[in-house]
Amino acid sequence: MNLTDLKNKTPQEITDLLGAKDREMLVERFVSLGLPNKKSEAYRYFDVEKVLDKRYNALTYVPKTLKVSDKIEIVDGIVVAGPQGMRIYNEACQEIDMDHFDPMYYLGHLLCPQTIKIELDGDTEVEIEHRYTQSDVLINYRIVLYNQANRHATVYENFICEDISNTLVLYGYDMHLAQDSTLRVVKMQHMQHNHYTMIASHKVNVAKNAHAMLKSFDFGADKALQLLKVELDEYAHVDAGHLLYLNDDAKRGTVSQIVHVGEHSTSKQEAKNILDGEGTRGIFDALIRVEHSAKYTKAEQNSKAILLHDKAYMAAKPQLEIYIDELEASHGATTGQLDPKQLFYLQSRGISHVEARKMLVIAFANTLIEEVKDTRHQERIKTAFESVFYKAHQ
Amino acid sequence: MSSVMKIENLQAKIGDKQILKGLNLELEAGKVHAIMGPNGAGKSTLSKALVGHYDIEVLDGDITYKGKSIVEMEAEERALEGIFLSFQHPVEIPGVNNAYFLRTALNAKRKHEGKEELNAAEFLRLMKSHLEMLGMKSDMISRSLNEGFSGGEKKRNEILQMLILEPEVIILDEIDSGLDIDALRAVSEGINKMKDGKRTFLVITHYSRILDYIEPDYIHVLKDGKVIKTAGPELVPYLEEHGYDGIEEE
Repeated sequence: MNLTDLKNKTPQEITDLLGAKDREMLVERFVSLGLPNKKSEAYRYFDVEKVLDKRYNALTYVPKTLKVSDKIEIVDGIVVAGPQGMRIYNEACQEIDMDHFDPMYYLGHLLCPQTIKIELDGDTEVEIEHRYTQSDVLINYRIVLYNQANRHATVYENFICEDISNTLVLYGYDMHLAQDSTLRVVKMQHMQHNHYTMIASHKVNVAKNAHAMLKSFDFGADKALQLLKVELDEYAHVDAGHLLYLNDDAKRGTVSQIVHVGEHSTSKQEAKNILDGEGTRGIFDALIRVEHSAKYTKAEQNSKAILLHDKAYMAAKPQLEIYIDELEASHGATTGQLDPKQLFYLQSRGISHVEARKMLVIAFANTLIEEVKDTRHQERIKTAFESVFYKAHQ
Repeated sequence: MSSVMKIENLQAKIGDKQILKGLNLELEAGKVHAIMGPNGAGKSTLSKALVGHYDIEVLDGDITYKGKSIVEMEAEERALEGIFLSFQHPVEIPGVNNAYFLRTALNAKRKHEGKEELNAAEFLRLMKSHLEMLGMKSDMISRSLNEGFSGGEKKRNEILQMLILEPEVIILDEIDSGLDIDALRAVSEGINKMKDGKRTFLVITHYSRILDYIEPDYIHVLKDGKVIKTAGPELVPYLEEHGYDGIEEE
């Protein structure tokens, strides 16, 4: 399959190409946004054309009977296992956002009419393991995650890939947090050079008085972009944190829109980026939009980047779009080297320059990692980060 | 006199401005030397020059420590050799655990000295014994280095580092600034504990208050980038009464 075949096509042509009869509205939205190219705002730093120009083999999706496992296992886009008693099934997505900013959100839905539905009904903690096993293919799947009212759930996402190359993964969540619920999603993804490219396009609906915590920890090489839209109802809250550690020639990051729709909604978004390779490019293109209806909003957004290589490049673009006066909002971005005062302080106690640099980089990351309160997972993420960082500095 | 450190004709600048203009000073081993002087005299620049701060460019002159020039040495090498600066404004480092930092520093020194490194439990025992003496809370072990510390806590933490690293030449830059009486007493107690007749102290201060607690052997008056007078502790009351203007270069 060549995704560039979808370029500059009419809705009818797209419908025919994708066999998307009865999905005219999705096709319309996709066509109006267009297949991403280097001029697309959300993809301008991502070299998306190189990704889409490649030819990928299409996979056939045949739903499998689930095995019982302590975690949800998704292999090449097909759910194969899950915890006993948890409602996991394949079904057409009923609630698609018709105002998402990302064309790949619509393409994802068009390419997979059956989504993986997971209902979190109970105060629960679950791990979702995504496994990729095939080279030269397009792996496309979407997950619908429902968190029921008054429930408090935590999802840990991990990504494992076998020795593959030249694969493109398009995936994403449609998350629904019902009233008074809490959902924590902690994603950790360590990518190695030239295994696969990922475009992850998400939508998160946070209902009245619900709280979403979305933390992503992205380490290593290759290309990955997460595109995230969050909508907040009244008194809803989102706490989004993104840690990037990039080496080799990785191009990775987050493009997001947090939309305050309800009164008294609050958001906090923090990105920490460590760019540790000549060709690395970090992306933080984040918009907070406060609608007319969202009086008394509180919004806070910040991006910090450390460049450990002279030629590394951070594209940080925090933005606020505000339509009311009754709110508190702040945003900012800094990009620079390690703080020479901090480096000197450590060295003045006999710690070598190399070791002091490592300590500061790890400290910079730790402040975000320590927001994961479960100590076992916190340690797991710290160990993964330190392992990839130390390996790059052997 | 047995000298541990000798500074000869030291000329140094920060940016485009020359601050030290031919400074000469000899530190007698095991003694407490106080450096006093007006604002802008070059006191803090001297302390930075001794520990190899990146802001300082040495233009001329030499600093020898135990007979060896240290001007070209990196900051960490000077620290490993036993030179310690208690900073006037210790920097905050979020994310670096205080105990982890100190153990790393101590083990780097022990390794340099050919000693075995301390494991976490051994180090914790050592740290706790000093915390109590300095009147510091045990949460100092787990907190990030200087992050959110009050002025007094930062200074106590500097002294804690000094006690654990056991340096030979200890430079205290305005150690008394921002301290209340109780903190000043605790800090002084920590410093006095290290006075064993072998370690050498260089106490840099604006005011004589700290010298009520740490008795100096020598007073050096620094003015316009040079030491203009060296005397015994009897100079302190004179300076209190007459200020620095009445001191002429010797």
